Amino acid sequence: MTERAVSSLGFGLGLRPQHYPAILDGPAEVARAIDWFEILSENYMVDGGRPIAKLMAVRERYPMVMHGVSLSIGSTDPLNMDYLTRLKALAVRVEPAIISDHLCWTGVAGLNMHDLLPLPLTEEALSHVVERVDKVQSFLGRPIALENASTYVTFAQDAIPEWEFLRAIAQRTGCRLLLDVNNVYVSAFNHDFQATDYIDAIPRESVAYIHLAGHENNKTYIIDTHDHPVVDGVWDLYAYAVRRLGPIATMIERDDKIPPLEELTRELARARKVADEALNRAVQVA
Amino acid sequence: MDLLRAEQVFQDGLLGRSQDILGTVRGNKRESAETMFGVYRNAYWARLAEVLGNDFPGLKALLGDPAFDRMARAYIAKHPSQHPSIRWAGRKLAEFLAAEAPYRDDPWFADMARFDWALAFAFDAPDATAAGLADLVGVPPEFWGSVRLRFHPTLDVFPVSTPVDEARPRLLENAEGALDRAARCERAIMAWRIDYDVKFRTIDLLEHAALQAMQGGATFGDMCELVAQEIDPDQAPLRAAQILQGWLEWGIVAEVEHDGLGSAA
Repeated sequence: MTERAVSSLGFGLGLRPQHYPAILDGPAEVARAIDWFEILSENYMVDGGRPIAKLMAVRERYPMVMHGVSLSIGSTDPLNMDYLTRLKALAVRVEPAIISDHLCWTGVAGLNMHDLLPLPLTEEALSHVVERVDKVQSFLGRPIALENASTYVTFAQDAIPEWEFLRAIAQRTGCRLLLDVNNVYVSAFNHDFQATDYIDAIPRESVAYIHLAGHENNKTYIIDTHDHPVVDGVWDLYAYAVRRLGPIATMIERDDKIPPLEELTRELARARKVADEALNRAVQVA
Repeated sequence: MDLLRAEQVFQDGLLGRSQDILGTVRGNKRESAETMFGVYRNAYWARLAEVLGNDFPGLKALLGDPAFDRMARAYIAKHPSQHPSIRWAGRKLAEFLAAEAPYRDDPWFADMARFDWALAFAFDAPDATAAGLADLVGVPPEFWGSVRLRFHPTLDVFPVSTPVDEARPRLLENAEGALDRAARCERAIMAWRIDYDVKFRTIDLLEHAALQAMQGGATFGDMCELVAQEIDPDQAPLRAAQILQGWLEWGIVAEVEHDGLGSAA
């Protein structure tokens, strides 16, 4: 599958072990409601057993995207070549449409905090990330996609809006972007900016696919929990993004309180409907 | 502050080693930097404790939720994760429990953690076909003494001093009746996988010694001598053969090798 084809994958879900039986042996209409799956790369960087067997059984039926959480592209530690080697080996096995990870760092001094930690948005950090994206893409022999993470603090030294930071990385490295609309919504609330400003700044040709997810609103801040259905405000922002970016591959993430597959396919049907309506409206306006 | 320093300060804040981060980051119009940074700090400890709970269900059932959480946080403070996959975060837990007060005073904790870890390891260790008795039957008698075994890559074996193998299923099923925490034993547990099913069984210390010897490259002849040192020498060949037969029947052997293989070709 070419990079160009990534954005036309359609509507997908995150692959979760709880859903293996429904995907592989469940009702055909449920399986047909999903166009592709995104896998969590680290969950399949294992040597064998059920995880790999199930992964490949699902892969025989669906296109896949590999999505990681441990690339740590913004860390000042050296790139973890053992990790990258395993990532590349998994890609040979899975033949994903694209490999994605986050604009973040996960640890320094050899430690891993297992979280998507925010970067100071400075020229120094930008140059650092650009250099590392170039190295990673060179090693993997293919472009990667970087996702905007939800953040809860900003740095006093921040000098560049996050959307400009992300756009500059894409322009300087040729990497693709994974636009997480929920994360834009969460960070906009947490840091008091306009979510649409963020969407407006994203270069449409760079966007590989879109993430949607639910979150937990604590009134004074929002936590990106991925344990709830997508909220109306995020659906509205998704419609805005589709009007601006055009038809684009979209998937829904659910990482906790995982419901039956049928429930997620109903939410995915809503994504199709929101996207269709947004595109029709965009055509009418044009 | 350069990027390297900013990340060090942030990480030190997460680990509770310094509060300097609060002078470096901002909250929002409604919440302070302390509250908003607390989202990251709380998530760090909670996420790792949750993963340890998932990977060590027997230990969690043994300790109970509040005590497990306290133990997990002490462990994480001592052994922060160094691996890109959170699945390996608990790899030093059994060692920690054997070394640190108050857990070191009760061998149930380290034994249960070791058992939980072996089962988790076997779950996604490399695939391999198991050898069977037929592979042994084909060995010409004159080469029996030279038989060496390559064990299944999912196999993990370790000694225990408490009957965690019996207690774990009961704990996980919330079975009635208190555990006999004074119970002690001398045996080893082996855990491995057949296809996708993780198995375990207990073996006595003689068999454990035989297994360790053959894992280390000893021949069947060497193993017979080892057994003969521990039991009636007249009974040793039969006992050694029974041990070997059991291993092949259970599926813990991946390949049977012997000196006749080269000459047979």
